[in-house]
Amino acid sequence: MAPANQIHDFHPPIAPSGLYWVVPVPKETLNISPDGNTITLEMKNVSVVDQPRWPALNSITTPAQMTFKMVWKSTGVLAVYEDASKQFRFKGTRASCQMEAQMEVPSIGYSWKSDPLEKSRADFAVIGEEVNGCYYG
Amino acid sequence: MRPSCGICSRRQFVRTGTFAGAALAVATQLSAFPWPQTPMTANGGTDPYPIPWLDKNGSHNQPAGPNLEPSHIFHFKGRVARCSTFSGMGSDNSENRIAFGSPTTDYGVMQGEYWAARATQQGTFAHI
Repeated sequence: MAPANQIHDFHPPIAPSGLYWVVPVPKETLNISPDGNTITLEMKNVSVVDQPRWPALNSITTPAQMTFKMVWKSTGVLAVYEDASKQFRFKGTRASCQMEAQMEVPSIGYSWKSDPLEKSRADFAVIGEEVNGCYYG
Repeated sequence: MRPSCGICSRRQFVRTGTFAGAALAVATQLSAFPWPQTPMTANGGTDPYPIPWLDKNGSHNQPAGPNLEPSHIFHFKGRVARCSTFSGMGSDNSENRIAFGSPTTDYGVMQGEYWAARATQQGTFAHI
């Protein structure tokens, strides 16, 4: 449920297939450290929509753009999640994650920019390897 | 003479066939899918499949958290990174200080192999 005081909600549209808020990532925008413990995703001008009344079915969308940098760092604490009924297995570690972002809604002349990456935090993060669906077994 | 077909006479078959042909032609014209002018395969698209189950809002989505699947694409094997419950601050172009983040502010990256269009595919995707 969106917070009552939410004034913007930026995300990609849901695909006709139902694929949910997923976009392709150009190779050069994802950087993984040689030891695999740090993952940096930095994308510019991603086409999204601003849908302030999400998840209301009649929530109007406005074209927007999102530029962001996100950094995951492994904490080394093991995380293994598996659910045979949902056919997935994840093996990895807990992580920290921070992000900085900039949003623009050109049609209404609105923009927003976050404070620097170091000023943000995520309460939950993991990095690792996963198999699901037909690869699960 | 008895018809060779136990169900219909030849004349009836021709009449039926003519109708069927007409019906097919109409159906082709009314189809929502444009028929290609050049030969092509029909194996489905190469976009990843969504995860099968639905969240409380009816989307092929799930929250991020312990013991929950990190990926947003199905029939997938590879590297994933997932995070949620962001908090931070920022400013809009009118210098208003506005917080961002909620328990459902979540992101993810999936890089590796997935199954689509009846074959293995390679790709990197982000849930944002």
